Amino acid sequence: MTTAQTVLAAGGAVSTGEAVTFWILAPLALLGAIGMVWARNAVHSALWLVLTMLCLGVFYVLQAGPFIGMVQIIVYTGAIMMLFLFVLMLVGRDSSDSLIETLRGQRVAAVALGLGFAALIGTGLFRALEGTSAVGLDAANANGNVQGIAKLLFTKYVFAFEVTSALLITAAVGAMVLAHVERRKGERLSQVEQMKARFAPGNYPGPKPGPGVFATSSSVATPGRLPDGTLTDGVHSQILPTRELTSSEAAPKGTEK
Amino acid sequence: MTEIGLPPINYGAITPMLILFGASCVGVFVEAFVPKAQRHLVQLVLSLGAITAALVTVVWQADTRTVTAGGAIAIDGPTLFLQGAILVLGVVSILLIGERSLERGGPFVAQAAIVVGSDADRNQTVRQPGATDIYPLSLFALTGMLLFVAANDLLTMFIGLEVLSLPLYLMCALARRRRLLSQEAALKYFMLGAYASAFFLFGLALVYGFTAGTPSGSGDNGGGVDFATIAAAVRNSEVSPALLYAGIALIAVGLLFKAAAAPFHVWTPDVYQGAPTPVTGFMAACTKVAAFGALLRVLHVAFGGASWAYTPVLGAVAALTMLVGAVLAVTQTDIKRLLAYSSVANAGYLLVGALAVNKQGLASTMFYLVAYGFTVLAGFAVVTLVRDADGEATHLSRWAGLGRRSPLFAGVFTFILLAFAGIPVTSGFTSKFAVFGAASGAGHTWLVVVGVLSSMILAFPYLRVVVMMWLSEPGESTPSVLVPGGLTAAALTIGVAATLVLGVAPESLLDLTNRAAEFVP
Amino acid sequence: MSLSAWVPIVGLLVLGALFSLFSVAIAPIVGPKRYNRAKLEAYECGIEPTPQPIGGGRFPIKFYLTAMLFIIFDIEVIFLYPWAVSFNALGLFGFVEMLLFIGTVFIAYAYVWRRGGLDWD
Repeated sequence: MTTAQTVLAAGGAVSTGEAVTFWILAPLALLGAIGMVWARNAVHSALWLVLTMLCLGVFYVLQAGPFIGMVQIIVYTGAIMMLFLFVLMLVGRDSSDSLIETLRGQRVAAVALGLGFAALIGTGLFRALEGTSAVGLDAANANGNVQGIAKLLFTKYVFAFEVTSALLITAAVGAMVLAHVERRKGERLSQVEQMKARFAPGNYPGPKPGPGVFATSSSVATPGRLPDGTLTDGVHSQILPTRELTSSEAAPKGTEK
Repeated sequence: MTEIGLPPINYGAITPMLILFGASCVGVFVEAFVPKAQRHLVQLVLSLGAITAALVTVVWQADTRTVTAGGAIAIDGPTLFLQGAILVLGVVSILLIGERSLERGGPFVAQAAIVVGSDADRNQTVRQPGATDIYPLSLFALTGMLLFVAANDLLTMFIGLEVLSLPLYLMCALARRRRLLSQEAALKYFMLGAYASAFFLFGLALVYGFTAGTPSGSGDNGGGVDFATIAAAVRNSEVSPALLYAGIALIAVGLLFKAAAAPFHVWTPDVYQGAPTPVTGFMAACTKVAAFGALLRVLHVAFGGASWAYTPVLGAVAALTMLVGAVLAVTQTDIKRLLAYSSVANAGYLLVGALAVNKQGLASTMFYLVAYGFTVLAGFAVVTLVRDADGEATHLSRWAGLGRRSPLFAGVFTFILLAFAGIPVTSGFTSKFAVFGAASGAGHTWLVVVGVLSSMILAFPYLRVVVMMWLSEPGESTPSVLVPGGLTAAALTIGVAATLVLGVAPESLLDLTNRAAEFVP
Repeated sequence: MSLSAWVPIVGLLVLGALFSLFSVAIAPIVGPKRYNRAKLEAYECGIEPTPQPIGGGRFPIKFYLTAMLFIIFDIEVIFLYPWAVSFNALGLFGFVEMLLFIGTVFIAYAYVWRRGGLDWD
């Protein structure tokens, strides 16, 4: 009995642990889905979707598919949802869709049709699968789940697997074509040119001192000073102007111990 | 630990796909390493050479009838015929894509990432040569199409669908002129296409559930998604057929989307209008062949035993498609949108043929696909020629009086429109005759009636364009018809010649389709 | 009890959640509170915090390219995992198939590198 086999849930009966996990996570998954549609802010939508995806990943594990469960979490929740957030940042975090309908009644029709489709598929599946027991799970996982996937990937679907690389190449070419502007020679500064510019007169090559590095107190109101004692602008952000403390400001406030 | 061995693969049978896949990879390499100035020529020669080589191997394999690569790929008569058709139409499309004499730098933008309307964009629109990434992308799309019509299980078919779709979405976004329209078209196509793919996957899962308990090729009784197992399950599965019907419906949604059948056609006019015209031609010809090739295999091989269940529904879809395409074509004012709705209507006629689940239906649909592909490519080739200073002049009012200004091209376009309308002596007539004959042979008389009615409606917009071209006086704004460069001229000649030959002497191709019209079990 | 193998993982998750909740909850209770503007400023890894423009600030498209490339190679790695687990059973042909796959995806890498997609300027 390998570890992989002990990990797998039994094919037929639903164990208590499985049932408990399902009934805890299923409402959460549903909540995530509803929250995704409901949220006004796109970032919140994406985070709701992460919740749903995580729950689905656990469901796959429960249903004796640990590999696909982990892939769901690593690729979907990890990588693709992060790409979602990236794209939201590209578009602008606060930008929101216009809620004006160009086709009148579109939203009502979409809700009605969506609910109708869900009801149709839901009742159809329920009636079709009521009382049916699953078959073939034990055979599929006989040598372990990941091993079973490897067997299918390298026998029946070996051609499909190789052709998948075409998809990956197309994705790379597409990302480059649509998102990358090639710079011609002369438009880009070389490393040497960048270094020369950095050390050219009038440019301070080092990093700016952090707030209060040479200051005498931790208050933001304390001006930054260079080593020679002069006041400097390069310390705080532009919002905070450089100024000398008045005597009342410099007086102890009773917070220091 | 049990050894896992490579399934026997008949490399000869899958050579066409391997050649195109290899050539597309080499194409990407060329993009990376060959200097910019030489890329266009290298890519053009590479693409044409690869497609020709693949075509030669398809002809060389003409007698192969086998299921290979672990049961994932079926090489049989319809596969080879449709692969050959896709490759021939692919050569013609590449000729259109490679044309650079009509416009400085060709029909594609140099760098699609530059913001539309900026100074850099105006500069590249008039000066810089177009991006050559379009060639490997079209080769990838062709690879996907070849796999799509050869797939013998639903998963491989899905991979094929994605491999053919993804490059098409990108190619739509690369127009040199009217870039915003082009990018909008690409986005619409991508969003709706991804949605349709999801439907296909959902249906796949339901069908897989339906096959539970049916012994599959690998020996257990866990079912499978290969067509032999599905066909066996359709005959004698004990699982409730509701799963099967829902599965067929959802898979059909995914396939009919690519075939542009109503009510899944809404993307067609926008995408056809926005995409660069050579890419539009490529989609109208090659994608249609691939989509219907896959649909035929699914309907005949996998779900053939349940044809009584899907025929009424898909028949209604076919009738709706023909009527929607024909009626909406009447209201169009843009030639590319007109051809898009005509392509929707033609998807309906093809569906009429595909629903006759017998040898005659299969043969006539394949004939129709080839005939329509050539005609539509020639049609879009003419559209690329009618230009003014801002690029192609596609508004129909601009075409008024074109017959006086350029009788030759107006004549050619008239011939193409007559072929679309199904006038005798053109391939449009023979192909419509063939599919309607097959449909009435299979007892779908009502579909034939709807088909003839919609053809009569559809003839009106075509004839209106013909009347406009010949009976109006050319005005100030009538654009000029450019003399085509060598590549467009070749594509146009091939398209028109095929339309004429298939109209006058269709026997040899009809023979070929009849001999090819048998799936391997 | 087939799901029992997952209990340690669930235990670890619960422990992690408890620890983070504890840390967040305990800090305001036991820590000294001496605020000033510099401490209350947003921390941006040492960069001077800039006021956010309307719209929340838009990131340059270059980030998208990097994220996309990451996903491509992430998916490639997912395929490596079952192959590695079954390496002994697959033998030479599996090795060749995997080399072919990696080789083809490498073409994408070469393309992106030569076109300057990996430069950051």
